[in-house]
Amino acid sequence: MKHYEVEILDAKTREKLCFLDKVEPHATIAEIKNLFTKTHPQWYPARQSLRLDPKGKSLKDEDVLQKLPVGTTATFYFRDLGAQISWVTVFLTEYAGPLFIYLLFYFRVPFIYGHKYDFTSSRHTVVHLACICHSFHYVKRLLETLFVHRFSHGTMPLRNIFKNCTYYWGFAAWMAYYINHPLYTPPTYGAQQVKLALAIFVICQLGNFSIHMALRDLRPAGSKTRKIPYPTKNPFTWLFLLVSCPNYTYEVGSWIGFAIMTQCVPVALFSLVGFTQMTIWAKGKHRSYLKEFRDYPPLRMPIIPFLL
Amino acid sequence: MSRVFLIWAVTHSVKEVQSEDSVLLFVIAWTITEIIRYSFYTFSLLNHLPYLIKWARYTLFIVLYPMGVSGELLTIYAALPFVRQAGLYSISLPNKYNFSFDYYAFLILIMISYIPIFPQLYFHMIHQRRKVLSHTEEHKKFE
Repeated sequence: MKHYEVEILDAKTREKLCFLDKVEPHATIAEIKNLFTKTHPQWYPARQSLRLDPKGKSLKDEDVLQKLPVGTTATFYFRDLGAQISWVTVFLTEYAGPLFIYLLFYFRVPFIYGHKYDFTSSRHTVVHLACICHSFHYVKRLLETLFVHRFSHGTMPLRNIFKNCTYYWGFAAWMAYYINHPLYTPPTYGAQQVKLALAIFVICQLGNFSIHMALRDLRPAGSKTRKIPYPTKNPFTWLFLLVSCPNYTYEVGSWIGFAIMTQCVPVALFSLVGFTQMTIWAKGKHRSYLKEFRDYPPLRMPIIPFLL
Repeated sequence: MSRVFLIWAVTHSVKEVQSEDSVLLFVIAWTITEIIRYSFYTFSLLNHLPYLIKWARYTLFIVLYPMGVSGELLTIYAALPFVRQAGLYSISLPNKYNFSFDYYAFLILIMISYIPIFPQLYFHMIHQRRKVLSHTEEHKKFE
């Protein structure tokens, strides 16, 4: 069996950082990253981006050495991705915040509203309903993070946790302030509006969960396989016929429901910003699907059936 | 962006402020800056940049920038009592949109934001000055 030699150069300075000899031909990039960490412990594998070309795309962890277009002496270029943090950690932190923060406003903890309102309770049913919906939503997200999602990448750059938490926690506080305010005005069309909005919210939460489960079932535990998602027996998954990312469609739907239920501008703005971000992600995912699968269903749009 | 804000959201919106000296201060600073800056761009595009223009662009800001910022801050500060009195651009609870906005508080936040932003921009220009003007001197030396 022929062994390979691997040299790793810095992508920017071309400095030789590491030389590995007697590397097995069927070694994966992940294994090579582990070997590299031995000589440079500050660059743990999650921080490493190895590529064949200094300006090219990163090689995947699963790529096998002998299948790459390299000679028996392979040259890889290294880029430091910066400090990394696990997706699970980021998700748990960014979702636990809104859950807790909203409750601070709901229970009218001191120093938020005037002192005469401390620990008082709203007389509007919709306010209690909103608290239940908001809390349910974030508990669902936390449980999905722990038990449902299967992540392709283990980590993301560390600075993302500050950016993401500011977004989620900031908006949660802003929304919660108004909904739980002593001067809160209930919806114009009363109980009818609240009932309709609640129905939209519940349907979309069920839909979103169904899609998460369907996506999880596409991918065996511990693997990183990618397949085209298709509708299952669950009617909520039939939205796959029309969109690539129905989880995002349902998520926007949930927040629109919540906005109608609370009739609160900050909620509408949060929905709008979320929709914008999810549309960007959906378009990216849709493009990846089209590139990877020749037989991708042509009727599907990224996030809104027929439109977007 | 801050120019548009100062003109429309402050000076135009709060008429009582229009006769303040601070308005004169930032208008003069901006005018001189822009005449030099756009001459710089024009000449650069024509590939014939007189050293004087380059020098002016990267030197006069040292005085003009603080001058403009002072004019801006003083104008916003002068507008505050009138904004408070008239409740300008503000909406308070209760209302059916369950939303509130206090323009007075917003203006104060804007003023505070000058504290981190101004030094960053100012020292960036100083750094650019060192790079651009010393580069020209080296070129001249080798001629």
